[in-house]
Amino acid sequence: MSLYPYFARSILRCLVCGLLAGALCLLAGVELGAASFTFNEKEVPQTKEDLLEIQTALVENLEPAREATVSIRLKEGFGSGVIVSPDGLILSAAHVTGGVNKELTVILNDGSERKAVSMGLQSETDAAMLRITEEGQYPYVDLNRDDDYLQGHWVFALGHSGGFDKERGPVLRLGRIVMNSRTTLHTDCKVIGGDSGGPLFDMSGKLIGIHSRVSHTVEQNMHVPIREYVDHWKDLESGEFIGDGAFAKRPVKGSGFLGFASEDTDDGLLVGEVLEDGPAAGAGIQTGDIVLELEGEKIPDRAQLQSILKEKASGDEVEIVILRDGEQKNLKVTLGEK
Amino acid sequence: MMQAWLARLAWARVFGLLSAGFVVFSPTASAQGGLPGAFRINGKDVWRAFEPQREILQQSSAVICKDGRARIRSLYGVIVSDDGHILTKASEIEHASQLSLRIGNTVYTDVERLGVDRDWDVALLKVAPDVPTIPVTLGHEGDIQLGHWVVSNGSTSRSQRRVKLGIISATTRGISSDKSHVVLGIGFGVNEDEEMLWKVESLTEGKGAQKAGVQVDDVLLSADGIALAKREDLVKVLKDKEPGDMVAIEVKRGEETLRLDVELSAREERMTRNEQMSGGELQLSARRSEFSRVIQHDTPVNYDDMGGPLLNLDGVCIGMNIARASRVATYAIPAAELREIISRMVE
Repeated sequence: MSLYPYFARSILRCLVCGLLAGALCLLAGVELGAASFTFNEKEVPQTKEDLLEIQTALVENLEPAREATVSIRLKEGFGSGVIVSPDGLILSAAHVTGGVNKELTVILNDGSERKAVSMGLQSETDAAMLRITEEGQYPYVDLNRDDDYLQGHWVFALGHSGGFDKERGPVLRLGRIVMNSRTTLHTDCKVIGGDSGGPLFDMSGKLIGIHSRVSHTVEQNMHVPIREYVDHWKDLESGEFIGDGAFAKRPVKGSGFLGFASEDTDDGLLVGEVLEDGPAAGAGIQTGDIVLELEGEKIPDRAQLQSILKEKASGDEVEIVILRDGEQKNLKVTLGEK
Repeated sequence: MMQAWLARLAWARVFGLLSAGFVVFSPTASAQGGLPGAFRINGKDVWRAFEPQREILQQSSAVICKDGRARIRSLYGVIVSDDGHILTKASEIEHASQLSLRIGNTVYTDVERLGVDRDWDVALLKVAPDVPTIPVTLGHEGDIQLGHWVVSNGSTSRSQRRVKLGIISATTRGISSDKSHVVLGIGFGVNEDEEMLWKVESLTEGKGAQKAGVQVDDVLLSADGIALAKREDLVKVLKDKEPGDMVAIEVKRGEETLRLDVELSAREERMTRNEQMSGGELQLSARRSEFSRVIQHDTPVNYDDMGGPLLNLDGVCIGMNIARASRVATYAIPAAELREIISRMVE
């Protein structure tokens, strides 16, 4: 049963060879991608030559893949991603971007940073898209749109394991597809925190997956197949939050809180006790501050503050203007979850 | 069934949101099948293609046992001379009362410890009396190429060494810890702006810095007379200190520069999420940093697989496995440094 793909494809390959591969491929409109490697046709490599073929394919296609692999700095920790267009479109994981329309920082391979914003995500399969918002020409990789990556194929993984390290560079891993379902690829490439959202490639250097989750064994890990992105491309591009899955939490209006008590006074809305380690404390708001504005709107009283917050969700970043010792301060607070 | 699914969702939520790391899923019923184990990258049918390299491990690596437990392997070693000199990982045998080793099929119970290089965490062993051994062939700098296959000692039976496979997975470089095991008790900002790097953001209650009178917003200038620029500078100063030791620091407060003596305290270790994902501290080498240069590879070996040679497809020894560093990384001392260690220690 599990040998079926090899068997079926070796018959196919004989046919293709026998009937002039080039002509047939042209007629059928098939581009020779991952399937064109002889090592992908074998159950296992048998000779040093077989092993060298794998090594050569990897080394030849590695550099562009490394160039396009980025690290994504999050509030806590790091993720990875991969650039797929010259103007800076990036594919990553939903549990990395964490939501739609959020500001993120991307670190390119040379260590330089770019501002980015998250776009759509698929919360049930962990697919997500973001884009660099600074104009530029970025190194990118091509997607495998032929969907011809199969169980048993050799693959390589890249990612900024544990966060960005310029001297080390993105970390490379080699493995095989050990299972292949519609929405999940399993490989024996080893991955770890920080790799989340990083790319999985076929041996021609085309993108076939994005790292999503690990299993309890080192040598079986899971990736979102690239077909999942291709299938949802328009929605991802337009910033849709798709599904109600486990990988990202749909924002719920009114679920966010600032983390301070307040009181209407003649001077305006006065900040009372500030929750220790809460969102407001983290942003630098102190007891005794006067709240002047929230999200660009004047705050005369507590009711106005509440009515704006009602439209916001936990995880949203809001701009707040406060008055302290006669000085105005503009602060940004990421709302906590009620 | 549904409950199991919900439980998995809960896991996903916890890890996905809290750590920005990976979601950990247990393989479930649906995860059965797939590529047979023997065909996976470290499956036994793939290992067969590496028989020539396995034969090198058979003759030129040593299986090291300690404390008289000749059947329980503790470590591997690299044979580096034709008369029984072997290099291994020093810190793993430091407290062993007695060593024995096995080369090929032969057990040697009379093993001397000739010396230790602490910088590289390498110990030189010698089988007594002289026995003929076959040293590894050391490679050159050009043999260390990103993406090339590497072969390490995996498991072993009493008579047969086995291979474990990986590839060179990152740039060869030095590894220094970003942490010391003692602390001043100062929290610095996460700001990467060089001028802000050493600004005191917080002070740990009751620790040295606070007791010495350091204040929030002071800027740390030097420690033990060493001017501080990069983050590593402070780690270097603190690296060899013990809790209770004093460090003289200079801080800038407004226009003033103050000299203060700070008592160091032990760092309260919190295991990182990635260390947990790597099976916890016990699955990793205790000494896994402070190497001036290492090859990084992705071979999934254990901390007790260290000490043996790292071979390329030609069977050439391009390094010596010296530390299991994480779920994705193993470090090896490059051949050039190994050559220098051998010439210094064996002569």
